[in-house]
Amino acid sequence: MNGRSLVAAALVPLTLAAGVAVAAPPSDRVLPAEQYTTDKGRALAAAHRGALQELNSGLYHCWPWVEVQKASIGFYRPKNATQDDRYLSTRIYIEQDPSPAFARLKFEERATAMFSRYVGPLLRRMTKSPALAADPKLDGFTAILEWMKPAAPVGGRPVHETVAIFIDKPTALDYLQSRTDIRTLSSKARVLGFDGETPLGTIAIGPAWDDNFVTTFKVANYQLEPGVVCQ
Amino acid sequence: MRSIRGRILLLSAVLLATAGCATSEEWTTWYEHRTHFASYDHMGFSVRNTEGSSPKVTRQDIALARDEGWWGKPITVSQEQILER
Repeated sequence: MNGRSLVAAALVPLTLAAGVAVAAPPSDRVLPAEQYTTDKGRALAAAHRGALQELNSGLYHCWPWVEVQKASIGFYRPKNATQDDRYLSTRIYIEQDPSPAFARLKFEERATAMFSRYVGPLLRRMTKSPALAADPKLDGFTAILEWMKPAAPVGGRPVHETVAIFIDKPTALDYLQSRTDIRTLSSKARVLGFDGETPLGTIAIGPAWDDNFVTTFKVANYQLEPGVVCQ
Repeated sequence: MRSIRGRILLLSAVLLATAGCATSEEWTTWYEHRTHFASYDHMGFSVRNTEGSSPKVTRQDIALARDEGWWGKPITVSQEQILER
């Protein structure tokens, strides 16, 4: 190998590394393993670190209208759980234009619409890793969906509405393996609502439907980073 | 002429009577509503950057537009109100 070839050989990995760095989403969206409070949480985090970073990366590139904040992805325990149940949790803020039709819906109806649009596709992304889905330590899934409340800001600050959707693992797998439909999934999920910081308690959402929005919507002129494939 | 005025009045009355109800039509409207960015100007900024070529928006453009267009810290539930570590 001559000198020029050696330089070229050295540059290829550097270029690839630079390409990956440009394309990578912020890694702090995934809760680090050392921040869990139990061995079970830490074990799950250590075993599936790659899968969670892949989930983060997929949301970042493939759902660019959605925002994932720091530590929004992790094996959290639902608050006040009586035992150390570990649910893979993903929290997303959904950015969308103001819509008078959406604003006229009741909170529960908006929650149902968001459930229909995002929960199925999110569950599929969360279970892309067969090892993660099959891990006996994993007890279920949490999807936290947040959007701008269709109302005037309070003290100059926008208000968000949020639903936290808890689905146990057998129910989720039944849906993912087409043994049940989205209506059944929505009827078995436990859904908590929040108006800004105010808890609304458990809310009754209507029957969900299959909404193909995330598979059909494209941000105008959006170009994926080289090497990124969205499925 | 009178007939046209009458029709307009009738149409207005029907529209007023049906306003304010979340009809299935409105569900459909929302269903068909396409999400994009509230601050179109920021997306326009990205597009202008590619003058002379076909417009392209990268993930970084979107992150930048979001940062620039941020409307302030939202009032929202904290992670700790829902989940435990």
